Amino acid sequence: MNPSEPGAWQRTSPFAILFFIGRTIKSFTRSLIQLVATFGALAVLIERNPQVALAIPAGIVAIIAAGVLQYWFFRFRIEEDRIHIHQGVVRKTALDLPFDRVQGINVERSLIDRILGLVTVSMDTAGSATAEGQLPSVTSELADDLRGRIRAHRPVKTADRIADDERAGEAAGEAEEGRGRERSPGQVILRLTGGDIARIGFSNRNLVVAAAVLGLFGQSIDFAEERLRPILESAGEAFAGAGALIQVLVVIGFVLVGLGLVLFGALLRYHGFTLWREGTAYRTRAGLLTQREVVVETRKIQQLTLSHNLVLRLFRRHRLRALPAALLPNQGSADTPGLQIAEVLEVPLLQGPEAEDLRKSVFGREGDALTLLPRSAGFKRVSPHYIRALTLRISFTLALVAVPFLTGLLRDRGPGEVVLGVFIFWLASILPAALVGWVRWRRQGYLHDGDGLASRSGFLGRKVDAFLFRKAQSVTVVQSPLQRRKGLATLNVQLACGPLSVPYIDLGVASRLRDYMLYRVESSQRRWH
Amino acid sequence: MFINPEVPLESLPSADNLDWHALHPSFVRRLQLGALIRVLVIGAIGTVAYLLMQGGDSEAMGRFADWLLSYALIAFGVFAASILIWPVIAVPRRGYVVREKDILYKTGVLWRSVKAVPFNRVQHTKIDSGLLDRRFGLANLSVFPAGAGGHKIRGLGTDTAERLRVYVSERIEAEAIEPADDERSPPPDPRTEAGAAPDNGPVTDAG
Repeated sequence: MNPSEPGAWQRTSPFAILFFIGRTIKSFTRSLIQLVATFGALAVLIERNPQVALAIPAGIVAIIAAGVLQYWFFRFRIEEDRIHIHQGVVRKTALDLPFDRVQGINVERSLIDRILGLVTVSMDTAGSATAEGQLPSVTSELADDLRGRIRAHRPVKTADRIADDERAGEAAGEAEEGRGRERSPGQVILRLTGGDIARIGFSNRNLVVAAAVLGLFGQSIDFAEERLRPILESAGEAFAGAGALIQVLVVIGFVLVGLGLVLFGALLRYHGFTLWREGTAYRTRAGLLTQREVVVETRKIQQLTLSHNLVLRLFRRHRLRALPAALLPNQGSADTPGLQIAEVLEVPLLQGPEAEDLRKSVFGREGDALTLLPRSAGFKRVSPHYIRALTLRISFTLALVAVPFLTGLLRDRGPGEVVLGVFIFWLASILPAALVGWVRWRRQGYLHDGDGLASRSGFLGRKVDAFLFRKAQSVTVVQSPLQRRKGLATLNVQLACGPLSVPYIDLGVASRLRDYMLYRVESSQRRWH
Repeated sequence: MFINPEVPLESLPSADNLDWHALHPSFVRRLQLGALIRVLVIGAIGTVAYLLMQGGDSEAMGRFADWLLSYALIAFGVFAASILIWPVIAVPRRGYVVREKDILYKTGVLWRSVKAVPFNRVQHTKIDSGLLDRRFGLANLSVFPAGAGGHKIRGLGTDTAERLRVYVSERIEAEAIEPADDERSPPPDPRTEAGAAPDNGPVTDAG
């Protein structure tokens, strides 16, 4: 595995067998639930017929053998401008991947990999399946060598001027770097501390859900109390009114266990989170056991999303996601239908000014007047008619969901009374729906300058999506019957990473924004990815 | 020399008030035939289900089938009429426009939308036609940009679809290689690229 020896066929290290075994198991069980179900079914079978248990070692041997065989048939060859990967035992595949097709290169280190100094490299490509562009358990020198080669083979279009354009863009980026904190390539922009990891844990959405579930199913406390009572009573009979105390203890115990779990989860995923800028790319690395590394080229970023939920709001922190193109149909050839989901660059916790610095650095000199901060005064409200539309939508959805329940509840009555019941339910749901609509309308907003647009939305939390006009893939202006009466419209912009919408703005504004956006896209000679 | 004249916003080409091309005249009949087949299939399944419920041993099930029949017939009638009439209302409201730099498609009866896909964002194009389409000499043209925001223009004449596909492919190639006349010089500064000064926002906002 000498990286400086291009042209020779090579195998990865034998530790890749573990990777292939994992892949084999994964191909059988798409999800954890399936795995649990399989084990459950096996347990039942063994209980009925103990001889079935003999199949287990046979299965394990088969899976290991499959892993070894896959390792043996997995070979790759690195050339100056491309990599060939041959793999497959029964169904052979030969991947010929030119470096200029690689969108990004990501590195993952499992615990074993880290002990042995190995990495698993996956290359994001436009068009081929993820699994094909993976090199399991190779040395980190080889990964660095690959990264260098891929960087040296930036996509070259037929016209030289595109390359000029690229250099100009990079120069602009570097000028930006000079202004910012990151003076030299590879400069660390952000590093999360232990306190930050704890904040991420506390802001975990599941914690809020778990608290709600705990409240709803108070019975489980009684259940736990029954189990705990004998233990506690034998421990200290001095407590005469132990009942209330036990309940309090059980609740505290639940909360502590939940907190411990989410904190551990955050630590597992985000331990040592570091974001740095490396040339024209952003790179993050994090993880306690398995360390994941994501590299995204600045120009591949289509959209920036800054969000915070209720807990993050209390901490005055945000979460930033930089979305690269998610779906790139393979140009020209229809025989490889695979679509690549590129890695999202995520900064799980940062402060407002840090987010703004990052935005400036990603967008370069474009979109100066945009902001990612939801509290910015620059955001314009959308039309209040949006509340009415939301109220109708929410209340109708509620009524529709309620139909089966009400039909069941009023099954002894006639159909007329069921219809009346649904109608009354719908009337009653209008007020809460209007309240939700009002809150969402207050959160909704948009802001644009000559280069890009930022759209704010949310209900309890807030989210701001920002993009540059020239990154748009298609633009749609939609009018509902209500909007037509009021001279309003919804502007939908499709980006390569997903849709973005600005609802209930003036039709004239929407049309002019569409025309201007089309103009920016159609007159732009800069690469959008 | 690098020339970068300012673009007055009023002079930007507007996508309002365009001369929309209608779809092929046979498209309504093609949709109606498709709807009729669907109605017949659903009607046949419903009839078989009714006969099975009636012919079963359970008397309660038979009574339930009779009770259900009237409601089912009303619902089926409404459904059949609406999907047979719908094409007459919907198809005239669809249309497309091909401009030099983009292709627009409008659709919708209640929710009306106009979508524009610039040629320099198109990844590839596709023509397909089903059995019924071919019977009426129709084809569908799909235009795919990156992501999911493409067009699928249904109900074009076979010739029109092919001519459009060729034109779109030519435009994609032209946009990819040749910079437009006004963009001949490299745009090193993204701000001046659009020819728009910072205070030259596209929209004077009322909202």
